[in-house]
Amino acid sequence: MHRLPCTDQQRRRLLKLGLGSLAAASMPLPLRAMASRYEGNTAQRRWFFSAVDNLDGQHFLAGLSRDASEHFLLPVPERCHGGCLRPGHTQAVLFARRPGTRLHVIDPRRRQPLHEIEAGDGHHFYGHGVFEPSGRRLYVTANRIDDAMGLIRVYDAEHGYRLEEDFELAGIGPHEVALMPDGETLAVALGGIKTHPDMGRIKLNLEDMDPALLLIDRRSGEVIERHRPSHHQLSCRHLDIGPEGEVIAGYQFQGPEWETDHPLIARRAADGKFTETDLPESLQTSLASYTASVAISHHAPSALITAPRAGRVVMINRHSGELMASPALDDAAGARCDGQGGYLVTSGTGRVSHLDMKGQLTTLNELPLRWDNHLT
Amino acid sequence: MSAGSHSELKPLTPWLFSSKPMALTLLPLALVLSLPASAQAESTDDAAARQRWHTDLGTLYAALATSTDELKQAASDYCAAPDEDSRNHLDAQWLQAYQDWQAIRLVDFGPIEVDSRAWQMQFWPDRKNLVGTRMASRLLQPTDGQPQPITQSDIDNAGVAEQGFPALEYLLYDEAMDERQLSDPLPCSLLQSISGHLADTSAALATDWTDFGDHYLATDSYTTATLHGAMQLLDSLEDKRLGEPLGMMGSPANHYLAEAWRSDASVALIAGSLHGLQQGFAPGLRQILESHQQDELADAFETQLSDTIDQAESLQSGIATGLEDDQALAQLTTLYIEVAQLRELLNQQIAVALGVVRGFNSSDGD
Repeated sequence: MHRLPCTDQQRRRLLKLGLGSLAAASMPLPLRAMASRYEGNTAQRRWFFSAVDNLDGQHFLAGLSRDASEHFLLPVPERCHGGCLRPGHTQAVLFARRPGTRLHVIDPRRRQPLHEIEAGDGHHFYGHGVFEPSGRRLYVTANRIDDAMGLIRVYDAEHGYRLEEDFELAGIGPHEVALMPDGETLAVALGGIKTHPDMGRIKLNLEDMDPALLLIDRRSGEVIERHRPSHHQLSCRHLDIGPEGEVIAGYQFQGPEWETDHPLIARRAADGKFTETDLPESLQTSLASYTASVAISHHAPSALITAPRAGRVVMINRHSGELMASPALDDAAGARCDGQGGYLVTSGTGRVSHLDMKGQLTTLNELPLRWDNHLT
Repeated sequence: MSAGSHSELKPLTPWLFSSKPMALTLLPLALVLSLPASAQAESTDDAAARQRWHTDLGTLYAALATSTDELKQAASDYCAAPDEDSRNHLDAQWLQAYQDWQAIRLVDFGPIEVDSRAWQMQFWPDRKNLVGTRMASRLLQPTDGQPQPITQSDIDNAGVAEQGFPALEYLLYDEAMDERQLSDPLPCSLLQSISGHLADTSAALATDWTDFGDHYLATDSYTTATLHGAMQLLDSLEDKRLGEPLGMMGSPANHYLAEAWRSDASVALIAGSLHGLQQGFAPGLRQILESHQQDELADAFETQLSDTIDQAESLQSGIATGLEDDQALAQLTTLYIEVAQLRELLNQQIAVALGVVRGFNSSDGD
């Protein structure tokens, strides 16, 4: 495909027109290659990362080799949740579990902590973030506690992770954030749940939640797309992004737990069309209104959703939403594509598994660890 | 890190990478899908245990609905005719209803999860004393004119710190009330509004628990959920409700960390929770253990539970005064040890015997 001249503004316009993949295709090649390598291509990756607890309840960042034969632990002072890698640097960032107030920057090669960044007065993090392709800006989901405004806090990693600016999301509870293949647009899972650190994890607005899947211009903070789930209590929490710009999002239903028929998986296609996925009734019921991690394969037409309350992982066709497999895995936790069409999957029981393209799970290792919900 | 050497996936058990054609794996998959993972190892006897639990726990929810209704009536009676008798009756009814709430607190799924009802019933832990500050604010006299009485609608729409038993405890026992008359219109309207909210919430819980029955009985994973609820209750009893205020968890003893420190009713509430385990949980547990030929564990659990209840009921005071009296402190320590032994029985021995594993992520909520 020959390159088209394409400014940021043009690219945003193309995105609005649902031509995100064309916009991505027209990016300058080095940037595009970097975005691709960072976001999706895990074929060359030797190490994956996750927050873990050991059996005594102490907290760590774990590095895990792709065949799960090796791992290392770096102590962190609190239970953490999601993480991300800094492109072009040997830095991993681990985010304190909500309502945590710190993010931890670690050099996993030297296995040393580098920085500890505070969310700042009146703010807390939600546990996820992502870098821009150059590795300079870090986008972190956060809560401005006073008015419960959901924010993307933008940090400058080249200047000691200095806070650069905040993007207001006109919504509550942004959770996972990831970068679209265009390198310019952030996808944000907006959970919609109001909490306050003084009140622990109590949900304060179950009656009037307004969750959404958002697409945001990472330079201006402008909300480009806002897709609302089919029920106001379907909290949009986690997501991953496919190579063509499709987004798969996982919900957690906040209404009565006996209402088990609400969809828990949403899909924003590359053309911007938003749909929710129906699963077979017995599987849908067993998920207990809860999904944890979402991972999309860049080498097979699948997406994987972990469902720890069902003790399962759910593999769907990422284009059609059709169920491909749903093998049992107790306390299924993090998932990440292995770069070869399958997935690496962790579990709170310590198990590390491989899921192949056909949906067959194989145990790679059992470690005395409790893997947290996300694998980076 | 991403530039590390390429490493092929080498599954440890390659024979599990079945060479079976896809069609062969799809057929059993459809059958497997009809059961949640945790259910597949369970026997049908667990359905009988859930039936027992649903009935017994329903009895506890009904008792809570009754005693909170009586509390609401006691509040109304006191405000209509405030005297020593009506006040004593109000205090006693508050404690009875609060204990009935403790009895059913082991259920942390189903209707109690709707609208954060557990928090509405009892906002605790309250390390920032939100109950104190919110209630003090509610009771502020306007600088001009008569105070407007507080309605139940106000409380129905208020924050959880103003809706439950600790909010009532503030009115009945906080030293700030020494300078106020509870029988005055403003505090009494607040007393009746909170009592009304508690009664309505409890009545809804009892009805919803009955309606929840079909789903509870049809869903195998609730066997594990019920066991987890009791295990979680014992975790909280040992670590939060006794260990932390008694200074057993690495920081100094601090009676403000106890439940119901204003009224010194912390041990009475613990006794309420233990009675709830005895009446609402132990019979169903016995059914499951007997179906696994583990009768001795059922006997051991019931004996230890009974001993722990005896110890709790032998204490005359709660944690707040107990911390200032060596003899009472020794008794509290004994209670702490009894609870720890009960927890070890359920959360270790019985959990292992039944193959119950507590999920790290399935209980995460993030």
